[in-house]
Amino acid sequence: MRFVIVGAGRVGLRTARALEDSGHDVVLIERDPTKVDRANTEGYEVIEGDASDEQVLLSADLDDAEALGALTGDLSTNFVACMVAKHHGCRTVLRIDEDYRESIYRRYASDVDEVIYPERLGAIVAKNALLGGNIRAVADIAQNLQLVEFTVTTDSPIQGYTLSELELPADSELLAFGKKGSSLSIPDEDVPLEAGDSLAILADFEKLDDVRQIIVGDAVAPRGGA
Amino acid sequence: MPSRPGEVPEMVRAYVMIKAHSGDAERLRDEITGVEGVDSAYIVAGDVDFIATVSVDETADVKAVAATHIQRLGGIEDTQTYVAMD
Repeated sequence: MRFVIVGAGRVGLRTARALEDSGHDVVLIERDPTKVDRANTEGYEVIEGDASDEQVLLSADLDDAEALGALTGDLSTNFVACMVAKHHGCRTVLRIDEDYRESIYRRYASDVDEVIYPERLGAIVAKNALLGGNIRAVADIAQNLQLVEFTVTTDSPIQGYTLSELELPADSELLAFGKKGSSLSIPDEDVPLEAGDSLAILADFEKLDDVRQIIVGDAVAPRGGA
Repeated sequence: MPSRPGEVPEMVRAYVMIKAHSGDAERLRDEITGVEGVDSAYIVAGDVDFIATVSVDETADVKAVAATHIQRLGGIEDTQTYVAMD
């Protein structure tokens, strides 16, 4: 598939790299000549120009692109790029610059399919690392809904019980289970829970802490989701 | 501009750019629209989150609407006001 990435900074260039690693074609649009040179040196196809200019966007052949990622640090540029790209049938991904805007753009920006806030994703990864790996955020499903993988520890209150005896709080649901060292699969009710087993749970942000206490059992209070 | 007899005196119009620090856009828009002197408020994309149009009798009232009433709403970080000249 072919993708257009607006902005060849840290976020845009890394996204381009990840897409190319997966075998896709990427065209970058960047207005800063220094960043254009760097991306060129790394072998990317780069259009030099301001992506808030429709002509510049059109030179990236949007009609032939699957999706456009507007990943510059400039929200207005990103928004314009998404509007034009949507008009040409692209899926659109908008990078926002402040976290409170996530809900506003999700709700009101009809030309934007996905909103991302890279700093928040980075914070989730950093937090998971700091907590020592018993909790891993898999995905944000909706504004208040997160899919999280928890690992049973020797401190877990549910150790020794079976999955059918596991009582999760309201607004949370067990989706998959994996014995220590095995991959996740559809939960089997009779399996006993032991340290090292993983549970993939879909939960409301508000309930993540309760779920964590039941499954992981430590007392570190998480902030802002897992 | 002096108003002629029988003519309604001209209102002062202004545009207020509003930056929030809350994602509760619907509530904020309603509260901004509810401020006396505000004609309309739009949720916009870009550096600011709302643009409000204001119509008041005198230029001094613009300041009261923007600096006093809008900025005092919870969830508002900053406002910038532009008074229309023509």
